[in-house]
Amino acid sequence: MAKEFELNEMEFWDGNYAASQALRQAQVDVVAAYPITPSTPIVENYGAYQANGYVDGEFVMVESEHGAMSGCVGAAASGGRVATATSSQGFALMTEVLYQASGMRLPIVLTVVNRALASPLNVRGDHSDMYLGRDSGWINLDAFNSQEAYDLTLCAFRVGEHLDVRLPVMVHQDGFTTSHKAQNVNPLQDEVAYKFVGDYVPVDDMLDFSRPVTHGAQTEEDWHYEHKAKQHKALMDSRKVIDEVLEDFKELTGREYKRVETYMMEDAEVAIIALGSSVETSIFAAKQIREEEGLKVGVIAPRCFRPFPFDLIRDAIDMSANLKAVVCMDRSAPGGAMGALFNEVSAAAYTTKNRPLITNYIYGLGGRDFGVEEAKRIMREQKAHADAGHITTEIQQFSGVRGPRLGFFTTRRD
Amino acid sequence: MSKGLDGTNKRGILELGAEEKKGWDEVPQGVVLNSFDGSIDNTAFLKPEDREYSEFNSYIASVASWRVIKPVYNRDICIDCQNCWVWCPDTSIISRDKQMLGIDYDHCKGCGVCVEVCPTNPKSLLMFEEATNNDDALAGWPEKKKKAKK
Amino acid sequence: MTDIRWHSRAGQGAVTGAKGLGDVLATTGKYAQGYALYGSAKRGAAMNAYNRIADEPIINHETNMFPDFVLVIDPALAFSDDITKNDKSTTKYIITTHLTKDELISQIPALQDKADRVFVLDCIEISLNTIGRAIPNAPMLGALVKVSNMFELDFFLDGMKKVLSKFPQKIIDGNMAAITRAYNEVN
Repeated sequence: MAKEFELNEMEFWDGNYAASQALRQAQVDVVAAYPITPSTPIVENYGAYQANGYVDGEFVMVESEHGAMSGCVGAAASGGRVATATSSQGFALMTEVLYQASGMRLPIVLTVVNRALASPLNVRGDHSDMYLGRDSGWINLDAFNSQEAYDLTLCAFRVGEHLDVRLPVMVHQDGFTTSHKAQNVNPLQDEVAYKFVGDYVPVDDMLDFSRPVTHGAQTEEDWHYEHKAKQHKALMDSRKVIDEVLEDFKELTGREYKRVETYMMEDAEVAIIALGSSVETSIFAAKQIREEEGLKVGVIAPRCFRPFPFDLIRDAIDMSANLKAVVCMDRSAPGGAMGALFNEVSAAAYTTKNRPLITNYIYGLGGRDFGVEEAKRIMREQKAHADAGHITTEIQQFSGVRGPRLGFFTTRRD
Repeated sequence: MSKGLDGTNKRGILELGAEEKKGWDEVPQGVVLNSFDGSIDNTAFLKPEDREYSEFNSYIASVASWRVIKPVYNRDICIDCQNCWVWCPDTSIISRDKQMLGIDYDHCKGCGVCVEVCPTNPKSLLMFEEATNNDDALAGWPEKKKKAKK
Repeated sequence: MTDIRWHSRAGQGAVTGAKGLGDVLATTGKYAQGYALYGSAKRGAAMNAYNRIADEPIINHETNMFPDFVLVIDPALAFSDDITKNDKSTTKYIITTHLTKDELISQIPALQDKADRVFVLDCIEISLNTIGRAIPNAPMLGALVKVSNMFELDFFLDGMKKVLSKFPQKIIDGNMAAITRAYNEVN
C-alpha cells in the first residue's frame, strides 16, 4: 500500500507539479515516459513518488515518445491504469500510437504541456501540438491554470475509464504559462482523491487468462469503417459522461467545470473565444474593458476540445440576444487554412439564431506573450465590426507579430 | 479426425471474408476479438479440433483458395522427425503425439517449406498442382535416389 | 494587486525565492503567482522571475508586468539589465550591492530621479556569511518583507521554516539568519 502524501489545505503548485500529484493520487499502475520540456517534471515527479513509496506502480523508461505511448498501449491492453506526459516534438512522435490507443479503446491519460512545434525549434507554449492530435480520437480537456490541471487530470481517469466511454483522454495545459507558473492550488487529500477516481476496472485485458483476446487486429474495407463509426459514436456520446463526472467533481469540491465555459455572455455584444491560459487573461481584460469603456464583452472557452462541443458552443452563441461579433483566437500556425477553432466555431455558429460576424486571430505563437492591452484592442475591433454590421478587417489576421500588417480574405457581405 | 464439443470440427468451415458482416453497433469494442466462445477451462489440454474457437479465430476461416500448388504427404516414407511441423509458418502440419497425420489444407498456402526441410530420401512431402488427385500423386511417388558414385 | 519582478542569474535562486514567497503567501489566505521567463540559457544567464500577489484569485497570465517592486539579486545586473523597464511612479527597487545607496545611484542614470524609491543591501555578502554560499534569494526576501511591510518578520520566518522543512537544520538556520540580517540591514 502506498504511503500517504502530506498535503496542505492550500498549496502553491505549478501546473506540472499539480498534474503529477493527480497521477500519484490516481495510483497510476504504469507510466511509460520519455521526458521532454516543458512536461518533464510530470513524469520525473511520478518517478520520485514511485521510488519513495508514494505510489504502487511501475515507471518504464523507453527510447522515444513513440516507445512511451507504445508502452502505455501495451500496459493498458494488459489491464492497468496508465498515464504519461509529453509536449511538442514528443507529442508529434507519439501521434501514430495515439490513433492506436483510441482505436483500441484504451483509457490512457496523457497530460500534454502545450508547446510549439519546430521548425524553428522552440520550447515555449502554443497549441500546435494540441491541434496536431485533435483528430486522433482522444477526449481532449483543456486546463487554463494549475488548479485545473490538477482537477481535470483526476476527472480524466473517471471519464476515460467509464465503461460507456473507454477512450483515452488528454489533459492540456499551456507550456510555461501554466506548467511553470506556481499558483494557489487547493488539492484533495489522497484518500478523497482516490475515492473520486475509483478502482480501475479492466476490460478485455490481456492478463485475463480465463478469456484470451486478440488486440490490434487488422481490418480492411470490409470491417474498418464500422469500427471507426463505433469509435466516433463512443467519442460523441462521451459528452454525457464528461458532464456527469464534472458534476460529481463539483459536488465533491465546489469547483464547477463545463464542456464549454462562458463568462459574462448573458448580455454580451461581442465575444472572444480562446483556449488555455489566454481564456483567463481574456476574462481579466473583458472585466476591465466593461468597467472602463462600457463595452459588453463576453468570453467563451471550450473546456472540452474533443469531442467538440458543437451543442454548447451554439448555446453560448445564442446566450445573449445582442451578440453581434465573435473572434476566435487560434494559438497555432494555421498551415495554409483558417484557424481550427475559427473553422469549428463558425460551423457551429452557422445554425445559431444569432449567426454573429466571426473573425479569426492567429496569436501567441512560440510563447509570444498574450497581453491585456492586446486582448482589449481585439475586443474593440469586434465592437467596430458589430457597429458596422459587417467585418471591417481581413477575416483572418495575425496579432502581435512584427512587420507589416498580415491578414487574409475580406467579407462579401455589407 | 475428432470433432468439436458441439459434435462438429469447425476447422476452415468459413471462407475468409464470407463471415456475416455486422453493423457498427454490433462490432466488438476496440476491435478486441475473443479467441474462444464461452469457458476455456481445460482448453490448453484439448486438441485444436476439440476447442470452442470463436467465429473470428483464424481456425474457423479457410484460406484454401489462396493456394495454387499443394504439398502431398506420404506416410510410408515419413520418419516422424517433426521438421515440417517445426518449420511450417502457418501451423498447417497436423501432428499428434509426435506422429504426423497430414496437412491442414484449410490453412496451408502452398509455400513448400515443409518439402524443403524434409530429410527423407525420397522426400515424404512433395509439391503438386492444386488440381492433382492425392492418390495419383502417391501412386507416382519417386524412388529412392542413389548417391552419385565418386 | 502587488507585482514583483526579480532580476537574477539562472542558478541564484530567484525562482526558488519567488516560489518560497508564494508558498508563505498561500498559507495566509492571499493568492499569488510565481513564475519565471526561462530561455534555453543555462546557469549564469540573466533571467527574470515574477510574483503577483492579490486578495482574490489571479487570472491575468500576461508575462509582462508593471512592477511595484523590482528585486535585483545580482550586483552586476543593476548595471546591465533594464531594471527600470515598465517603471511606475511608485515602483520600489531593492538592489544587491556592496556600494552605498548614493554610490550606486550616482553610477546608474536610470535611478537618479528615483532615489527615494531605491533600497540597497549586500545579499551576496549576507548569504556567504550565513548560508555559506552565494545564494542571494533568502536575504532578498528578508529585505522585501521590511520594505513592503507585507508581513511581520517573525510570521515570515515561521512560514519559511515550513517551506524549508525538508532541508537539513543547518540550512534552515542559515536561511533564518540571512532573512533576519537582511531585514535589519536594508536601507
